Amino acid sequence: MSATVIGAGMIPMGKYRESSYPGLAVPAALRALNCAGITPGDVDLVACGHAFGGMLTGQRIVKDIGIGGVPILNIDNACSGGASALHLGVQAVNEGRAEVVLVIGVDKLTQFGGGTLPLVEEDHEVQRGMVMPALYAMRARRYLHERGESPDLLAEVSVKARRHGAANPFAQFRTEVSAEEVLTARPIADPLTLLQCCPTGDGAAAVVLVSERKRQEMGVKGARVMASVLHSGKATTGFRDMLRPEITYHSAAEAFEGAGLGPNDIDLVELHDAFSIAELIYYEALGLCQRGESAAMLRGNQTTYGGKVVVNPSGGLLAKGHPVGASGVAQVVEVYWHLTGQAGARQVEKARTALTHVTGGGISGMDHGACTVHVFEAVA
Amino acid sequence: MAIQSRGFAGDVVGEGVEPFSDLNAGSARDFVERDGQTYLVAGLSGSSGVEIFPRRPVCPKTGARDVEPILIGPSGTLYTYTKVHVSAACDAPYDLGYVDFPSGLRVLAQVRGGSGGYACDIPVRLASDENGWWVEAVAAS
Repeated sequence: MSATVIGAGMIPMGKYRESSYPGLAVPAALRALNCAGITPGDVDLVACGHAFGGMLTGQRIVKDIGIGGVPILNIDNACSGGASALHLGVQAVNEGRAEVVLVIGVDKLTQFGGGTLPLVEEDHEVQRGMVMPALYAMRARRYLHERGESPDLLAEVSVKARRHGAANPFAQFRTEVSAEEVLTARPIADPLTLLQCCPTGDGAAAVVLVSERKRQEMGVKGARVMASVLHSGKATTGFRDMLRPEITYHSAAEAFEGAGLGPNDIDLVELHDAFSIAELIYYEALGLCQRGESAAMLRGNQTTYGGKVVVNPSGGLLAKGHPVGASGVAQVVEVYWHLTGQAGARQVEKARTALTHVTGGGISGMDHGACTVHVFEAVA
Repeated sequence: MAIQSRGFAGDVVGEGVEPFSDLNAGSARDFVERDGQTYLVAGLSGSSGVEIFPRRPVCPKTGARDVEPILIGPSGTLYTYTKVHVSAACDAPYDLGYVDFPSGLRVLAQVRGGSGGYACDIPVRLASDENGWWVEAVAAS
């Protein structure tokens, strides 16, 4: 693998009801290009991930900045759309089909007015009342039951996320919260309260990928993609262990094998903490700890600064925000900043390796519809 | 050279290529009541043995078009549950849970009648009225 991120940009996550999709994404794309030292005319492929942007979202964005006449791919994979776009961009570079790729992730959730994410109404579980917080709440209920834990543990995930997010000027929430505030917040789907759910918001992020030949020609540092894995879920009509999301286990194992690294080699992780319980389950699924040890890992401060691995230094989806199609690319923006020493007050010291993980859910019979895992290494 | 593919002629419109009329599969009458007990009308693939609810015309494991109706219930086990307070799908609040039936089939169900006093792994039973079906906690005897 030689595709390398050499530039990144995003807008602060938030609520931008006055902005169109291009209005959200153009500033992020321009920042990424400027940071990379790439002009729009150098770009020979664009991959744009989104879930709710409508037709030709990528074209609507890049026509405003002088990019045209090149392939533009629009990718919906629910929350994994942005990372799926990155996956296609990496493939294009590694297969020699492109030297310079602009990857964009964007979504505007304020168009729905708030509340839970609208899922596909054709789905029979949605017809019966399924919404994303309910799915994660049922995971949480089962986790607490099997592990003999209380909601206090779940609250600690949000406390950490908000503490990390307080140092991130791009986060939607930049204030800390206490465990008591988390536990007494408005209930959304028991046992999950409002502060254990990612917020509704809008956002856009972009990265520039180049070939190794191009990077050396430019003489720039970056975050090399060591592995890029995209899996779909596997449907079942029967029992599923909700504490063991097979799609993330498989994707992570394949990514580590491809990268020639293991979980213990990773300095920072941006994982899909759309709801508090997800972070605990994914510690185990990504191999950051053994099965059954996620609670101890969190309580032992092993996933924050000074611990074994810093998980979600950006504040994660809980604090940074989760405009669904944007998140997979925003994770890579965060990783790029850390691996190139540009993460400011939240910099993970001596970060050399990183992993990003994002799933796309909301489909009956599957743990998730899509899962994308990327592994990065700093290159100078 | 004509393509011979397992006996199907690709250019013939007929049985097998009409679209499924499945848009209301989740809300159609997919349960029956017999002798005071409620059963779900699921599907069973004769070749694979896979059960499907709501019933689909094809087996989700093999694609075989050999799915026949089968009654499931009335008793199952509540794997997990939640009370939903905010929802874009239905009027909240309501209780949802995954129910495992003895045959192995798992079904998302609305859970009622327990005054919120549910727990993982408790026995539940299907119930219904003229508007639909749900599960209830089985009262301890």
